[in-house]
Amino acid sequence: MTSSSALALACRDITVNFGDVTALSDVSVGFAEGLIHAVVGQNGAGKTTFARVAAGIVRPDSGSVEIEGQNVPLGNVGRARAAGIELVHQSFALPPSFTVAEAMEYGAEGGRTIYARGAMERRWMRHLEMLGVQVGPRERVRDLPVETQQAVEIARALVTDARILILDEPTAVLSPSGIDNLFARLKVMQENGVTIILILHKIREVLAVADTVTVLRGGKLVEGPIATDATDAAQLSASIIGSSVAGDISETDREALVGAAEESDTDEPITAETKDAPAILDIRNITTRQDAEGPALDKVALRVGRGEIVGVAGVEGNGQRTLVRALSHLADIVSGNIELAGTDVTRTPLSSRRANGLRVIPFERNSEGLSLSSALWENWAARTLLLGGSLKLINPAQLKKTCFDTLNRWGVRFSSPSQPAGSLSGGNAQKLILAREIDDDATLIIAAQPTRGLDVGATAFVWRALREARARGCGILLISSDLDELFDISDRIVVMLSGRINGEFSRPFHLADIGTAMTGADR
Amino acid sequence: MIGYLTQVIRALAFVFIALLLCSIIFEFAGFSAPLMFQSIAEGAFMSTRAWQNSLRWGLPLFLTALGVVISFRCGFFNIGAQGQFYMGAIAATFVVDGLNGQPAFIVIPLTFAAGILGGAVWAAWPGILRVRSGTDEVITTLMGNFIAGLLLIYVTSGPLKDPSGTGQAASSRPVGELYRISAGNSLSPTIIVICVLVGVAMWVLVNRTSFGVLSSLAGRNPIMVVWQGAKLSRLGLVGFVIGGGLAGLAGTIEVLGPIGRLSSGMLPTHGFTAILIALVANLSVMATAFVAVFFGGLAAAGLYLPVLAGLPAAAIDIINAAIALFITARTWPKRLTGLLRVRRETT
Repeated sequence: MTSSSALALACRDITVNFGDVTALSDVSVGFAEGLIHAVVGQNGAGKTTFARVAAGIVRPDSGSVEIEGQNVPLGNVGRARAAGIELVHQSFALPPSFTVAEAMEYGAEGGRTIYARGAMERRWMRHLEMLGVQVGPRERVRDLPVETQQAVEIARALVTDARILILDEPTAVLSPSGIDNLFARLKVMQENGVTIILILHKIREVLAVADTVTVLRGGKLVEGPIATDATDAAQLSASIIGSSVAGDISETDREALVGAAEESDTDEPITAETKDAPAILDIRNITTRQDAEGPALDKVALRVGRGEIVGVAGVEGNGQRTLVRALSHLADIVSGNIELAGTDVTRTPLSSRRANGLRVIPFERNSEGLSLSSALWENWAARTLLLGGSLKLINPAQLKKTCFDTLNRWGVRFSSPSQPAGSLSGGNAQKLILAREIDDDATLIIAAQPTRGLDVGATAFVWRALREARARGCGILLISSDLDELFDISDRIVVMLSGRINGEFSRPFHLADIGTAMTGADR
Repeated sequence: MIGYLTQVIRALAFVFIALLLCSIIFEFAGFSAPLMFQSIAEGAFMSTRAWQNSLRWGLPLFLTALGVVISFRCGFFNIGAQGQFYMGAIAATFVVDGLNGQPAFIVIPLTFAAGILGGAVWAAWPGILRVRSGTDEVITTLMGNFIAGLLLIYVTSGPLKDPSGTGQAASSRPVGELYRISAGNSLSPTIIVICVLVGVAMWVLVNRTSFGVLSSLAGRNPIMVVWQGAKLSRLGLVGFVIGGGLAGLAGTIEVLGPIGRLSSGMLPTHGFTAILIALVANLSVMATAFVAVFFGGLAAAGLYLPVLAGLPAAAIDIINAAIALFITARTWPKRLTGLLRVRRETT
């Protein structure tokens, strides 16, 4: 760390414990003024906790935070903001029902009791225009595309003359071109003298935008801040992943895990003859009603062959949820057909679709996938119990034993099949779901965001499980917002936009093409 | 199992605290707290006679509480046990009264069938409204209690009125001796056998069938079982109907057994005490049996309170209410969040 340039933000010996879990341990790091800094690490490395400590949201158990040389009281958002630090959250904090102007007014300063709508709107429009955000002051936050929402959120954070802006995983919800726009905007802000700290998890993005990079792993500082010029993708990926799990993971997987892959690296097809594979899932022009959790599907046609992984890419909220819900008989299909292994199942309930080999790994692990307060064995047995009649007698001791063996085979870390599912870590919880959904009778596996929030080891495990299922002849529909993941393990990729399929791609995949399809720029 | 046990012990500790609190209040109100405890002990558990009384009150409560356990486990807050208990008793009385003179081996089974059906029907309509249109079952089952209570007044002073009745409370003709399942106003082996059989059946249902596991999963996270392909509406409706049927069975037993007739305003807190029992027992079948007998004991002791401690018989209601306060304070928040989740999924 160079002492010549002034430090905008300096954290010393920060330790944060959440119960038994140490989120950060003795992290000391200083960020120089006027630069764009990246903080990287896998899920669970402590990046978000670090951002929250700096912004005064989380009070560390020990350590100190200095902003521009001044000690800031810990765990005090108001004082941190007054000192010039602003945090843009991973999930945006703007009230969805507010208009843009209202969100700016009340989000920024708490607002005035009495205001003139016109004056307020003019005031904030000037501010937004200055930052180059194209948006009408009366538009509702919920109606804005995510990229604009994020832009408004950043603008909101800058109202208070923030000197330091922390963005927590700002790229997670953006399309490739949205990411480019964001980075361009950040560079302008940097020129205006704002110090920017980006929490990221893709090396490609780090190298594209940041001046320095800091790596966290398991709550500890691995290195940094080091100048991005002085490092490269291979070096960074090694320090992000660490040596303990690296050996189990193949080269291309490793690159996909840290977002370092160059497009050329993924050119070679993984499986040779998937084109002529008989279809296990054939979706024929299904159109649904507006769904509770996303836009309606509009004439979606999609085919998954045996032994094929079809990736569904797209910015979140473009109908991926509706698609999974339609396949699970939870969305209202207006027209079109779904065929499972040649049988029309459009009007068939989920239970009989499951009996015919459909398996679903739902989006929300903790609500849709598991009952957290129920025992492991109950969660695990639910699928098979539903195959028999309700009054079928069961032998809990036998079920617990089978569950015990199965979970061990899947490498779940647990102590007893009777412990509640909520006591498992995210990766182990997902393995429990895999153990339930990837069985010998599975023919089609719908995997919706199966690796979200998982660390590197668990992510690689999920990929391996999906590949093994493919090798057995399962068809797999993989929905993911992580393009690196899709590029790494899909045989084909379709892109969803506003409830439609907006492009289908075979290997080799090109980021630019798929990125264009994601934003619909060619329309 | 250990988890359940500690939870039941914790719940019993709450009961004890409630008792302690009541005793302090009674002490300040000029009654004797030690005498209160003594009369509860003597009235409920200190003699064979006391035990018989405790079981007499406890066993019907056990059946109704089991019904509450089943529907709560499915995640539905069926608080209409009182109304379902009344409707079971009314239906049973209609049958036993209408078939008066027929042989007992025909009348008694039909009466039981009618009673169970009466309770089940009274639980089914809120259940159907709930699963079909998302109507709040707390409201509908609560309303059902009032409707059933008014219907009870109507039938006991109308269609089933005992013409010779002169008492303050309107009631039906006494059930013929031929059809009674217990002698006088006390317990009988028949009642014990019925309760044991039902208890075992419900234990098997909850602990040894797919329904038991799935309903418990559904009760804790309905969204998850929907994603597994379960029909939430069917699971829930079954829970409602079993719950109502058991309350109806308890009503039938009271009519054919200890009470021996239908009377307006009979056991007005039966269904609510049953909810209390289910919550204290933490929705475990086994624990429900013990807790029900304990609450039966409190009910039996209600007769001793005026005699020994000089307390009004209503003191037992105060004690029950205090227990309810403690138990619900412990249980409501979790239940509520569970319910909110159910609601979001189905609407």
